[in-house]
Amino acid sequence: MTDLEFNICVDDYSDGVYRFILKISKNKEDAKDIVQTAFEKLWVNREKVETLKAKSYLFTVAYHLMIDQLRKENKIVMTDSFDETTQTVSQGSSELKQLLLQAINNLNPTQKSLILLKDYEGYSYQEIGEIMQLSESQVKVYLHRARLILKNKLTHVEKMSA
Amino acid sequence: MINKNNYETFFMSYIDNELNAAEIAAVEAFVLTDSKYTEELALFEKTKVHTPSTESIEMEDKIFLYRFPEMQASLDTNFKKSLYKKEAPIRKIVFTPNLMRASFTIAALLILFIGIQLFKTNTAIKEKASVVSTNNASTHSKQTENTILPSKELDASLKNSNAAIVSSQPVNKKINLINNSVIEPSTNSVIDIEKHSASNHINSNIINAEESQSALLVKLHETQIRSSAMETVSNEEVKNIPVILSSYQEINTEQEDRTINIGMLEIDGAAFRGITRRVSALLKRNKIEKEK
Repeated sequence: MTDLEFNICVDDYSDGVYRFILKISKNKEDAKDIVQTAFEKLWVNREKVETLKAKSYLFTVAYHLMIDQLRKENKIVMTDSFDETTQTVSQGSSELKQLLLQAINNLNPTQKSLILLKDYEGYSYQEIGEIMQLSESQVKVYLHRARLILKNKLTHVEKMSA
Repeated sequence: MINKNNYETFFMSYIDNELNAAEIAAVEAFVLTDSKYTEELALFEKTKVHTPSTESIEMEDKIFLYRFPEMQASLDTNFKKSLYKKEAPIRKIVFTPNLMRASFTIAALLILFIGIQLFKTNTAIKEKASVVSTNNASTHSKQTENTILPSKELDASLKNSNAAIVSSQPVNKKINLINNSVIEPSTNSVIDIEKHSASNHINSNIINAEESQSALLVKLHETQIRSSAMETVSNEEVKNIPVILSSYQEINTEQEDRTINIGMLEIDGAAFRGITRRVSALLKRNKIEKEK
């Protein structure tokens, strides 16, 4: 990977990685640090990492850094609170969307990461498995469980509103 | 194939775009069979988070992620190496037989030199002590050398001794007789003494006077004999007379101006005592503070 290719990776993937981490960690500074570290690692291993796999590499490194960070801060159990960033994201969206984001926030980090990587970044089961070091079938099962939880929540809210 | 038991899995794979074209067609056909499945697929569709067009979460300080060739410091390797401090070479001293011999001889010479110095200092101290003792002895000998005193000095001493005598008349008479027989000038003093009346201390004074007078008489006889003999004795014989100057000096430890000699060092006793007192006072103070 050349300097130019690396800078293109920064242009293309830095926002995506930052958003992914911010959605889960909910801390801007932590997310920045994690993205910085991920790109630092990519730079150090630029000779080994292919340009086509740079995105996957960045997400993988960032995901594991985030998990380590959450373990350090003992934040594995997520709260129901809706932080500022999520609120700004949901501005202008429908009530159902807000409920969905709230429901996602209640998921555990693995399920949340799976949803975000699939819906936001559009990764396939195989790619998600590579990033999160899970098998394809595991990704499928975990993701389906997460979607069932979300579906049940939405159904419950719709019934309550009706 | 999709059916009532596994349709949820197919629906979720459908919304995740993980089905091939045939499976997608099968799912769409299955949904059309019942409105219940249509509603359920719509609910699953709602669980999918779509990135909103309004959402623009961008990373701040992205500029720091870029890598430019100008940003990379390219320091010369020689310069980098020069920044490291060189370690001083470790000198290992191997004790070879020659070196051992040399070191032993040096040590022996040092010990010998120190011993000689100590011996010298000890002898110097002893000499000092002997000089002091000879001075004392000379003063003492002056007292005993009344025998060699000249006649004028003898007269003076006798006058002094007579002046000390306060006695009754019969004793004074005796003294007068003696003094008159030996020394004439002493008569005046005796007369002076006679003028003074006898006091209450008569008895004791009589005894003292008698003793002193008798001693004086003996001494006078000796002087007369020796003076006559000395004239005849030759100088060689005088030299042969043994002079014993043995004396013992008693050191007063409480004497403040005493000096303490340790080898070549001379320490002022008073100063040393003062230092020790201060140190002990300091130690006591510290102890009290600690106890507090």
